[in-house]
Amino acid sequence: MASSLIALMGLSLFLGCACWLVFLWAVRRGEFHDMERPKHRMLDEDEREKRRK
Amino acid sequence: MTAAQFPCFHCGAEIPAGALVEERADDATLSFCCHGCHGAYLVINGAGLADFYRRREWRESGLSPQAFQGKYQESYLARFVYQAGAASAIDIIIDGIRCASCVWLNEKIIGRIAGVQEVRVNYATGRARVLFDGSRTSPAQIFSRIDELGYLPRPYTRNAAKEVALNEHKDLLFRFGTAAFLSMQLMAYAFALYAGYFLGIDEQMKNYLQLFSWLVTTPVVFYCGWPFLRGAWRGIVNGSPNMELLIATGALSSYGYSVYATFAGEEVYFETAAMIVTLILIGRLLENAAKRRASSGIERLMELCSGEAQRFKGDELEPVDPSLLRPGDLILVSPGERFPVDGTIAEEATDVDESAATGEPLPLYKQAGDQVIAGSCNLTGAVRVRCDREVEESFIARVARLVEQAQSRRAPIQRLADRISGYFVPAVLTLAVATFCWHYSVGGEFGPSLMTALAVVVIACPCALGLATPTAILAGTGAAASAGVIFKGGDILERLSRVTVAVFDKTGTLTCGTPMLVDVQPAQGLSRGEVLALAAAVERGSLHPIAKAVREYAEANGIAYPVGEELVSLAGGGVTGRVAGEAVAVGSICFLKRTGASGVPERVESPEGGIVVGVARRGRYCGALVLKDRIREDAPGLVSYFKRGGIGTLLFSGDRQECTEKAALAAGIDKAWGELSPAEKAAKIERLREEGGTVLMVGDGINDAPALSAADVGCAVAGGTDIAMETSDLVLAKPDLERLAEAHRMARRTMAVVRQNLAWAFLYNVVGVPLAMTGRLTPVYAAAAMALSSICVVGNSLKLMRTRNG
Repeated sequence: MASSLIALMGLSLFLGCACWLVFLWAVRRGEFHDMERPKHRMLDEDEREKRRK
Repeated sequence: MTAAQFPCFHCGAEIPAGALVEERADDATLSFCCHGCHGAYLVINGAGLADFYRRREWRESGLSPQAFQGKYQESYLARFVYQAGAASAIDIIIDGIRCASCVWLNEKIIGRIAGVQEVRVNYATGRARVLFDGSRTSPAQIFSRIDELGYLPRPYTRNAAKEVALNEHKDLLFRFGTAAFLSMQLMAYAFALYAGYFLGIDEQMKNYLQLFSWLVTTPVVFYCGWPFLRGAWRGIVNGSPNMELLIATGALSSYGYSVYATFAGEEVYFETAAMIVTLILIGRLLENAAKRRASSGIERLMELCSGEAQRFKGDELEPVDPSLLRPGDLILVSPGERFPVDGTIAEEATDVDESAATGEPLPLYKQAGDQVIAGSCNLTGAVRVRCDREVEESFIARVARLVEQAQSRRAPIQRLADRISGYFVPAVLTLAVATFCWHYSVGGEFGPSLMTALAVVVIACPCALGLATPTAILAGTGAAASAGVIFKGGDILERLSRVTVAVFDKTGTLTCGTPMLVDVQPAQGLSRGEVLALAAAVERGSLHPIAKAVREYAEANGIAYPVGEELVSLAGGGVTGRVAGEAVAVGSICFLKRTGASGVPERVESPEGGIVVGVARRGRYCGALVLKDRIREDAPGLVSYFKRGGIGTLLFSGDRQECTEKAALAAGIDKAWGELSPAEKAAKIERLREEGGTVLMVGDGINDAPALSAADVGCAVAGGTDIAMETSDLVLAKPDLERLAEAHRMARRTMAVVRQNLAWAFLYNVVGVPLAMTGRLTPVYAAAAMALSSICVVGNSLKLMRTRNG
């Protein structure tokens, strides 16, 4: 019981660390570089569309 | 200051008289002692290794500030000094500015240096502008003083500012990400420990869980919480206790006690230490995003002048960066492009859309000798423009400076909960100490007395107090977003609910901003549809707002129109072309007369004082179209809503006074001011605020950006300029003014919920703390009660999501 619980805790720690490393990799790649503009993009009129008009 | 006073930029040697070689870089003029050093610099710079020079002179952030004490070199810093009137000035990026008290501390301490005349620190960008007397102090002294305070100064350049902001953001993300993942792990162990406390747990298993908890909490407190620990230490050293001191005290005390409890076999509270750090990091992350947003408005403005300008070099054109344009340079601006700098048209003529810059809704005809404004849009013809000013002195840059000044005057507001927490935490700690002393002095043992004191701290944990505002704000902003109103921060809701004056811009905000077709007057024997189809066929593909209005009207009314050919746009006049083989001309009445069309009336009646556009086919007048910039249909409704709520309404515009007053009358606005420059708009807003008003400004143009920044709440309407959206606090996702009334109602409801939450949290503490002090609550029951109060607060806030239309 105790040993299986410790194994499970180790496994959860391992999975957590894996997610954490993916997050760090994403930050380094600049995924979170600009968290503002993408959400306002829906408000911008598409430049190409404007020209087509 | 002449360049020869500096040593060589590359080798540092003195420059002999007559040997000076100069190179203009982004922010300064670099001096070299010979062509060899100059060549070496070009090679290093060309290879993308310009960082070499900075590393040679500068420490990187992340090293201890004292590591390079006294390394500020006068010769290096002197490059960044410029003259501002009689004084010398330098712009400094101060790394580590976190809050209003950092701004205050820096301004006070730098201001006390002998010879410093004025200091202004911008909270949003961390940029300080220091005016000083060069004979009494030097940049190195100023830098050293900032360094002693524990901040990291760097000379300001656009790149340095960006780099600092980006590094700060990355660092925060690393710390927050780490804290969040480890806290998630910790919560699983905490659940098991709590369950074990109530239902029983094997002693060995409990020890394992506590050890694991200790393992994952340690990096959260000492790595993720390091900025708070460092800030707390700085607060102690400088003798100015700050919020970070409270955070550090809370986190370290629960961590320290839990380590002791792990070995003493007591209950542990590691999750308290970890969650304090994690939650505060979330707050920091949001605050950092708000700061970045504030400075991105200025960046967007400057982007208007970026891109490439086409400069004449003899008869050849060369693409250059607009920052390299100098007064007297001749450039070519094609249709559809923006003018990069303020200038004068040298040859040709065109129509210019200045609506974003001046608020003038209709395109202006500009010919040789007329002035053009940076950022305005060239519509119809390619023109040669003589530059009058550099980019830094042009209209856009001046507006950017105004925006920055407005932001630097607006310190972040201290929220009600923060103010309460400021008194709350010391009071609770005092009560906890008093409880321990009292229980211990009346014969209690050390352990149980400490547990009773800890129960006081746990039950009084300001979770409910801390959650009261953010959860309500989160629910309020979420509901507002689904209604098409985007709030850019929580404090904006609070300010919007207290608004006493609403100021509107005219063009594009109160009015549609573009001319709309309101009437078609066909000549004898022709139908409205025929005249419209002719005009739309010739106006096909034109950027001109009138052409757009004609096409839109035709499409909206299902009028099919053929394709015009051989189209020629004549700036200031109109368009000629061929439709189904017949010559067609569309333009002003004067233009039609100039083309020799017969039957053109002397005057065309336009009942609403709009613009008249005539249409002629095969040299014969066919009819006229009347266009007008109209008041938005929902504007009067919004104005009357504000008036019913006792909120004053004003109209500001760059347009003529007469037009402004007409628009105000149509919308029912109390007072109107026309012919205002961007600076005047911002100054008027400032004056309103000084008189004690809480000001809401609604605008959409570049010329509104300073006013939007200066107001307590800036509101931009979607479809306006990007700059207005960047510098505003809330955005209406569709150009529908009714949504602003909805946003105001939502803000008031949200603030009511915040007050209910605060009252509840306070009541809970009033009941809970005395119970804990008398020893009737063990820490575990206290923790359960605390969780229950938090659930009540969250539930109350979620009401807002359900009462969107309530």
